[in-house]
Formats: sequence, C-alpha cells, structure tokens
Amino acid sequence: MKLLLVEDDKEGGAYLKKALAEAGHTVDHAADGRQGLLLAAGEPYEVIILDRMLPGVDGLAILRTIRASGVKTPVLLLTALGGIDDRVEGLEAGGDDYLVKPFAMAELLARVNALARRPPPQDVQTTLEVADLKLDRLRRTVTRGGARIELQPREFQLLEYLMRHRGRVVTRTMLLESVWDFHFDPKTNIVETHMSRLRAKVDRGHGLELIHTVRGAGYCMSEPD
Amino acid sequence: MFRSTSLRLAAVYTAAFALSVVVLGAITLLATRAALSRQFDARIDAEASALAQEFRTEGLTGVVQAVEERERTPGALDYGLQAPNGRPVAGRLAGSQAPLGWSTLRMTPPGGGPESLRVLTTTLPEGYRLVIGDDDEQTEALEGAVLQGFGWALAGVVVLGALGGYGLSYGVHRRLAAMTGAAEAIIDGDLARRIPVRGSDDDLDRLAVTFNRMLDRISALMESLRQVSSDIAHDLRTPLTRLRQRLEASRTLRRPADRAEALGGALEDVDAILDTFAALLRIAQIEGGARRAAFRPVDLTALARGVVDDFAPSAEDAGQALAMEDGGPLVVEGDPELLTQMLVNLVENALRHAPGAQVRVLTASEGADAIVSVADNGPGVPADERRRIFDRFYRLERSRSTPGSGLGLALVAAVARLHGAAVSLSDAKPGLGVRVVFRGRPSGGTLAFPNEAESSRSTSGV
Repeated sequence: MKLLLVEDDKEGGAYLKKALAEAGHTVDHAADGRQGLLLAAGEPYEVIILDRMLPGVDGLAILRTIRASGVKTPVLLLTALGGIDDRVEGLEAGGDDYLVKPFAMAELLARVNALARRPPPQDVQTTLEVADLKLDRLRRTVTRGGARIELQPREFQLLEYLMRHRGRVVTRTMLLESVWDFHFDPKTNIVETHMSRLRAKVDRGHGLELIHTVRGAGYCMSEPD
Repeated sequence: MFRSTSLRLAAVYTAAFALSVVVLGAITLLATRAALSRQFDARIDAEASALAQEFRTEGLTGVVQAVEERERTPGALDYGLQAPNGRPVAGRLAGSQAPLGWSTLRMTPPGGGPESLRVLTTTLPEGYRLVIGDDDEQTEALEGAVLQGFGWALAGVVVLGALGGYGLSYGVHRRLAAMTGAAEAIIDGDLARRIPVRGSDDDLDRLAVTFNRMLDRISALMESLRQVSSDIAHDLRTPLTRLRQRLEASRTLRRPADRAEALGGALEDVDAILDTFAALLRIAQIEGGARRAAFRPVDLTALARGVVDDFAPSAEDAGQALAMEDGGPLVVEGDPELLTQMLVNLVENALRHAPGAQVRVLTASEGADAIVSVADNGPGVPADERRRIFDRFYRLERSRSTPGSGLGLALVAAVARLHGAAVSLSDAKPGLGVRVVFRGRPSGGTLAFPNEAESSRSTSGV
C-alpha cells in the first residue's frame, strides 16, 4: 500500500523506508515537516507515519494542520517521548496510533496494517464472522459451527479484537494497549495465557485453526484460502 | 544602595512632604497678610472717624490738639492736617501730597532710611484734609516670622525624611541583599543555601519562606535526578557489558545459525536495557508530579478486581493461586492508569518472589482510609531489608538470579507518593504483605501529601 513517512532522521528514515518497501509498501519519504505537509495534502495515502519531533516544527502542529485541511488518512505517530501525557496529546491532536521509539520493525508493520482501511472497517457491524466462528457484539455471544462457546469478559474482548483485525497481524503490545488498556509492559505473560485459553476454547476440537501465532510478531486470525 | 527601590520611595515621600510644607506656608502667609491688612485699614478708618467727630465737636483746635497729643505717644500712627488751601496745619504728614482715599507714600523721615507708608486721606468739614497712615513694619515682621517658621519646618521635614528614608531603605536593602546573596550562592553551586528568615512574618519574610520552599522542591527533584543518573550508570553497566561481550563473541562465530542465535540474544539484552530505561523514565515522570492534574475518582476495588482477573490465569498456569478479597467500592482521587500499574507491579512482585505460593489481594476501608494490600505466603523479606526494597534497583541477594529490573517496587513507591498514600510492609506470617493506605478518602476532597521519608518507607508490623 502507499505510505507517507515523515521522518527527519536520515539514517533512521532510510532504514524504515527500506524495511517498509521490503514488506511490499510504496513509501514516500518527506525529510521535513513542510514537505510532509505538502505531500499529505496532495497525495492519497493509506497511512501516514509521522515522526513527532521534527526540526523547526512539532509533528503535532503538522498533524493538526493535516486534520484541519480535511485529510482523514490514518496517522501513526512515532515518538521518542513515552510519557502518558505525550500519548494522550498525540491522540487528541488527531493521531490514530502512537508508537514509542525504539520499536521492533514487526511492531511498526503490524500497526501500519492495522491502521490501513483495507479491508473496510468492521467497527459498525454488530456481528463478526470468520469461517464458522461468529461473534455477536450486542448479545456478547460466541458460536463456532453453531455451538455456543463460553468466554470470560477479557477473552471476549481479545477475540473481538482479533476478529476485527482478521487477516492482519496483531502484536502483543497492540493487544495490551487495546484489550487491557495497559500502556506499560507487564513482565507476566498475561497475553500468552489468555491467548492460549482462548485458543483452547475456540480452536480445540475443530479441524480448522483460526488463531495463528506469527513468529517474532504476534497473532493473526485468518481462515485458510 | 542608592539605586534601591525603598530609598527612591523614601525620597519621593520626603519631596511630597516638603512640597506640602511649602504650600501650607504660602497659604498661611497669604491669609496672615490679608488679615493684618484688614486690621490695619480698620484701625486707620476708625481713627479717621474719631478725628472727624473731634472736629465736629471740638473744632479745629480740638483736632490739632488731639493730633499732637497722639503723635507724642510711641508707636502711634502718623497724622497730617492740611488747611483748605493746602497749607500744613499739624502732624508729621501735614506736607504730604496724598490724593483722597487710600494711597502709598514714600518718605524719608529725619535720621532714618526711606520708608513706605500706607495712608488714608479724608476731608473734614470746612475743606480741611486729614491724612492718617502707618508704615508696614508690623505686617512685615509678622510675615517674616511666619516665613521663618515654615522654613525651619521645611528643613526639619527634609532632614527627618532623608534620615528616616535612609534608615528604612537600609533595612530593606540589607534583607534584599541577603536574598540576592543567597541566590548568587545557589547559582555558584551551593545548592544547600537558603534565604535567611527573620521570623517576623512580614511580606519579605513570607517571600523568603516561599522561595526556600521552592528551593527545597527543586533540590528534591535535582536529588532524584542525580539518583536516577547514578542508578543508570551503576545498573545498566552490567547488561551493557554482557551485550558487548555477546556481540564481540558473535564476530568469531562461523555458522550462520550460531550467529543468528547470538544476535537474537543481543537483541534480547537491548530490549531488557530499554525496558529498564522506560521504567526509570516513568518513575522520574511520576515523581515530577505532573500527573496530579489528571486525577479523578477511581474505584480501587474495581481496579484490583480487574488486575486479579487478568493475572489469575497466568498464576494458575504457574501453579500459583491469585485471589481477591473484595472490600466493596473504594473510591479515591487518582490516576487510574498509574494505580493499575502499581497494582500490577505489586501482584507481579508477589508472584515472582513466591513461587508455588498463594497471593491475596485485599481491599478494605478503615475509617476514612482506603486500603489495598497484597500478601503472599512466600519467603518474605527480612525485617532489616524492608525499608530498602522500594529503592531503585534494590534486589534481595537471593533474587539476583531471577529476572526483573529491580524497579517494580520503586515505581509502586512513586505512584503511592504521588497519591499521598503510605506504603508499609509487614510480615504476612509467612510471606510478605504490602499495604497501601490512601488517607482521607472520597468526600474528604483533599489528600495530604506527607513527606516522603515517612509516608513511603515506614514499616509497620514486625
């Protein structure tokens, strides 16, 4: 997909661009805020990756300008500031996601994929379906092949998140932030534990596995083609 | 000193007082002059009427006699009586050419300097003219006295004002100089220096106290910063050394698989170092206190319940038990994200250091206090080490081999301090109990922020 990367650090920017290109994306790299602003306003991108600290201008100022001019492209903010207030500020300025440097490349790729509007968002649907797995968001029920599956509240949230992001990799950090609302890294393997329980309930006894582990990246819910 | 604000103020006040003395003097002088001149005129008027009466009753000879008689008495007025043809008849002023009515005469009496006389010329019956006058000597003398009096008053005001102003500004100047001196000393590096306080509780004293409190706060922050730097230097050296060794060793590895494994290990080391950094920065941020602005009512029991539900499966898988004892809704003013992290750290700490054990999370209210405690039945912490486990990077000797940065409880202490809560450790018999007490909860409104040494480090129980 077509991405805009606004990053002033030459070496870091070039590395990110290369890695994103290797993952199959077309990347325009703007080395300063002005150029980034021009590109963002003029070209149709699927995701904008915006460094928060740019020479001369605050990335947030650019983000606000982009939003004020009616551009609705999802924006992923990159930052070296990991404070709680910094995150809130970034999201309030119109950012869609926030990634603190340094990060693993797999994390960035997963988040870019999660932000892209393809396939169309399923947020508004009241039922989510993957193969014979059905999740009713209103009744808060889950069935697989017609058989009811009982889930704990957290397991339900976890499954809902995976189903909403079907076909895309979700990382452990994304799950912690979205499902648990933990913006820190607990040392305990709570994601893994909940995931293995969820898999036991959803996938065990069914020939077809829907939840997959993606080595070195995270998890992915998908049905085989 | 001569550029001091107080001295300038004193000078302005002195000038203002001096000006009022001058204005007052001028008004008094004018009023005196007007009163004297009215009195003078009235006296001459009365004399003229009296002599006219004399002329009517006693005739010309009576008037001449009266004039001569009066001129003989010392300090008397001057008189002049002229015949209708202008011939002098009697009196010192008989030869004067004064017109009718009030006028001023200049004349030089024998054996004296020239003097100016104010005279009234009236007509008597039969065409005679009567001139009566006096010099202004008395008026001038009185005016002189008034002027002299006010001159002295003016001098007094200026001298007293200058002395008082100098004294006043000297006192203020000395105290301001002490403040400036303290500030200069601090700039030069003497961070322990404080502004002297007199104890008079006046505005300068209160200013000094406020500045001292500000300086205390800054020093505390500086100290925390210094502590963080030295902690980082000390505790990151070990993992960095390990990382370096690993990378160095990987250079000589031939097989790609070995190299990949070594690099993977190096990445893990880097991640661990970054985790430590993140934790340190977070603690520093919490200690900065900026998060207090985001406080809102939070139900501690609900937070604890959530944490227990999230961690119970992992504990179960590890052969441990994590249970909750619910004390009902427990609302405190706080930051839910930080309080959650605090609870997570307490639970993780208990699970990590009490393998195969049971961990209980308990919420309760005692009077106005909200209490959340986490207790395990693991090996516990020796009493003499309890105070130190909230320090950054502090780890018990036997925990050195288990993973962990040694920052978990330091963060707990920082979050508790931010919320004005007291953390205490106790012997859970066996095991360790950590109690966090939020004082004066919900409707009490304000939470106290007690001094940190007492609030977070105090040990209770055994």
